[in-house]
Amino acid sequence: MKIAICAKQAGLDSLVDERFGRAENFTIVDLDTSVVETVENIAKNQASGAGGEAVKLLSKYSVDVAIVPHLGPKAETAMEAFEIKTVSQEDYKTVGEVLEAYKSNKLKEITKKKGLTRL
Amino acid sequence: MKIAILSGKGGTGKTTVTSNFAVNINNSISLDTDVEEPNLHIFMDMKEAASEPVYTLYPIIDKELCNLCGKCGEFCNYNAIIPAKNQVVVFSESCHDCGGCKLVCPTGAITYKKREIGKIFKGRSKYDTELHYGILNIGEMSGVKIISQLKNHPNIDDKTVFIDSPPGTSCATVEAVEDVDYAIIVSEPTPFGVSDMKMVVEMLREMKIPFGIIINKAGLGDDEIYLYSEDENIEILGEIPFDKKIAELYADGKIFSDSLPEYQNFFTDIYNKIIEKRRLL
Repeated sequence: MKIAICAKQAGLDSLVDERFGRAENFTIVDLDTSVVETVENIAKNQASGAGGEAVKLLSKYSVDVAIVPHLGPKAETAMEAFEIKTVSQEDYKTVGEVLEAYKSNKLKEITKKKGLTRL
Repeated sequence: MKIAILSGKGGTGKTTVTSNFAVNINNSISLDTDVEEPNLHIFMDMKEAASEPVYTLYPIIDKELCNLCGKCGEFCNYNAIIPAKNQVVVFSESCHDCGGCKLVCPTGAITYKKREIGKIFKGRSKYDTELHYGILNIGEMSGVKIISQLKNHPNIDDKTVFIDSPPGTSCATVEAVEDVDYAIIVSEPTPFGVSDMKMVVEMLREMKIPFGIIINKAGLGDDEIYLYSEDENIEILGEIPFDKKIAELYADGKIFSDSLPEYQNFFTDIYNKIIEKRRLL
């Protein structure tokens, strides 16, 4: 199973990014093999719709769970459509801390707020 | 003859200048293309406006035909259409209605549906001039379609048309000034006014539209605007002083040359100067 964490830089010591769609990078951890990989968020400089584009990127890397700060309504809809579960990163400061908190079940799943009309 | 009035920075006097031209030049039509916050109709005291809706299109996916190939999503520059696991997500409000996703769809699964994004109002002002303005619905991202519908006016080509443009240099501003014969930049002589004006100058040069400057609130700020205009060889068409009387009339919703007739020639002279320039081109 793969999880993604919004990260300022590569590695587990990096600070988490406080934005999702325009996060600098995503650190993707394969919990089965313990392989850690940081990928640049190609969506961060999009003029609009960065959230949806970032979700597409996570899907390309077969991410099952995204650990995120606040999610915009479009990103939320896209996460659901790509069947990626979303979990709150809460107030943890580094990627490593978030990872540990997730492993020990301290993070809560984000339930869909449901605001946006989908057509 | 189409003349656009624009500024870069907001609040420099585009509408003030447009309304003063509109009441002093006979038989002119004025268009307020600042559809995010139109206000020309307030100053012109518009009566009995007829309204028409403005629509935009967005894609609808036929799930039976869609094979989730992903081509539409790769094509879309605005992430308005995102093929996901078992469905295609469409964010209708992000769609720019370019028609591209339908063109690239190999299975013909895409059709379009229209939705209203705003309205156009057409009527006459208290000064017996023709006036049209548009308004974009709250939450909508782009007023370009409304501006293009405003400019698509049947007898626009044989009249003098003053186009009150949106501030800045966005897509909406480009749409407002496209195809005009001349542009007037209204700037205030402050560092912010000059800085934003420089972007407009760059845009107009790129679009090959001839232009000049009216300095509003002259006497305020510093002399950078004069030095810049001289360096760049840009004509200053005229200056409106930073005058309490003018500010008071503005605050009262009045067109200042209507109350201060000594300014009427200011606008007709500039207009005649522009006509003469066009003739010499």
